[in-house]
Amino acid sequence: MRNVPTLLRREMNAYFASVLGYVVLVFFLLVMGVTFAVIVQYLTRGPTQMTAMRIMFSMFWLPSMVVVPLITMRLLAEEKRAGTIEMLMTAPVTDFEVVVAKWLGAVVLYSLMWGATAVYVLILKKFSGGTASLDLGPIASGYLGVLLIGQFLIAVGVLTSSLTKNQVAAGVMSFAMVFAFLLVLNWMDYLLQGGAMGKLIKSLSAFDQMEEFARGIVDLRTVVLYLSASFWVLFVATRVVESRKWR
Amino acid sequence: MQPMIKVENLTKRYAGVTALNGVSFEVGRGEIVGFLGPNGAGKSTTMKILTGFIPASAGQVTVAGCDVFEESLEVRRHIGYMPENNPLYVDMRVGEYLKFRAKLKGVARSDRAERVQEAMERTGIADVQKRVIGQLSKGYRQRVGLADALLHEPDLLILDEPTIGLDPVQIRQVRELIKELGKQHTILLSTHILPEVEMTCNRVIIIHRGKILASDTPENLRKTLRAGGVVNVELRAPLEEAQSVLQALPGVAAATVTAGEDGLVHAAVEAKADADPREEIYQAAVRSGWTLRELTRSRTTLEDIFVQVTSEEDEAEEDRRDERRSVLR
Repeated sequence: MRNVPTLLRREMNAYFASVLGYVVLVFFLLVMGVTFAVIVQYLTRGPTQMTAMRIMFSMFWLPSMVVVPLITMRLLAEEKRAGTIEMLMTAPVTDFEVVVAKWLGAVVLYSLMWGATAVYVLILKKFSGGTASLDLGPIASGYLGVLLIGQFLIAVGVLTSSLTKNQVAAGVMSFAMVFAFLLVLNWMDYLLQGGAMGKLIKSLSAFDQMEEFARGIVDLRTVVLYLSASFWVLFVATRVVESRKWR
Repeated sequence: MQPMIKVENLTKRYAGVTALNGVSFEVGRGEIVGFLGPNGAGKSTTMKILTGFIPASAGQVTVAGCDVFEESLEVRRHIGYMPENNPLYVDMRVGEYLKFRAKLKGVARSDRAERVQEAMERTGIADVQKRVIGQLSKGYRQRVGLADALLHEPDLLILDEPTIGLDPVQIRQVRELIKELGKQHTILLSTHILPEVEMTCNRVIIIHRGKILASDTPENLRKTLRAGGVVNVELRAPLEEAQSVLQALPGVAAATVTAGEDGLVHAAVEAKADADPREEIYQAAVRSGWTLRELTRSRTTLEDIFVQVTSEEDEAEEDRRDERRSVLR
């Protein structure tokens, strides 16, 4: 893992040397800003059980579905198309280092995006007055949930990017997988109430997990599940990158 | 001393296609070896295996005594590689890119700036170090690729088609640079341009359809393959007489005399192996009282050898196919 910091720096440069990093950031902040405005508008109508940030976190899937494919589709597909993967893999670095650095680069960008939404917390703090003091615990765990689910989706994006040299194909594949993981699973959760299968689906549903994080509950099982799932997906992506060797 | 590169019985099969078929060769330290072959002969495949990008299907390959598959990372530290088409990160600046590459290649932090500077100076790109690679001309990009290959002062440089796509001036510059680098590094370069190996290499390996057909110095190849070459003679002499006299000379394998204008005759004299019949021809002309107007030896170029060797192989292949066909019938 000695080379990961070097590779990571190159990844971050690549995001911000091209327009991609800025475009995605602007898109994300636009969607989140509008969402935030709508939420605040809604909450001014009258008292409710929900807090602004809880509703905000429950909307995490909307930007994720677009942002994750956008920031991951390029990663390995473009290296393969341009042939730069040959330069990379004939330097004394391991395939796993390369895959991890790519994943980490996207995770850092994703975190920066969500980090920018911390401004909303400051706004809420300033204007909520003395009546309802802001509870920072659930907000922190909410951000943890967003990061945890996001890093897994990004790992999936890295995997789809390793499968092809066509960026668009990689992007569509990762969109489909993120869509299936978030929405289809949630829909099945809704259909299959109860039973062993229903329980299993429920425990995997990112919506339910996010709901818990946003309420301030950090379930260690979920944390371990997501981290090990990412590791596994990145491992598979590494094998795909290595597959040039046995094809 | 162990050779820099040792390849034994290297075979590479892609799905259904045999790209390399039992290739064996060695490259000694300090040699500049040219890998010559038509497109698709297996040059790039061999280089990709040497650099550990893809593995062999069978055979043993060692670089500086390390097995390329077992000790891949160690091998990569010994090699400076410039792949075909010289892929670079086009969004990076030259200096920034080279610094990144130096870090990846494990150049110590204290030496890094110095090595990058040195590589840029040797390849003549110090004046473009602030420019974005994507905006550079092809010649400059090629030099960025070369500078990258030099960064960690590798023992061995592997350059896949280093002059492809350059204009004549750039080609000359890159060749000069390669020659210069050959003083300190072992170099294996591939090309399908013949003058390139003649000019830069001290040994040529001709590869065709995944097999090595010849491996020798350019001079020796010329000697063994097309003997002494052809001598062009222009004489003022009777045609039949010239034919019989020239044909009878000891160093001559065959002579073809044709009539020219103004009572002159042209003779294309094929020399025997290792013979140079020019003096014999001059003396024969003096003895017979002929006037000699031209006496030049046209050296066999590598191009001739290359065409000869590869077409012989193709003919043999065709014969085999015909045989197989007749057996089937």
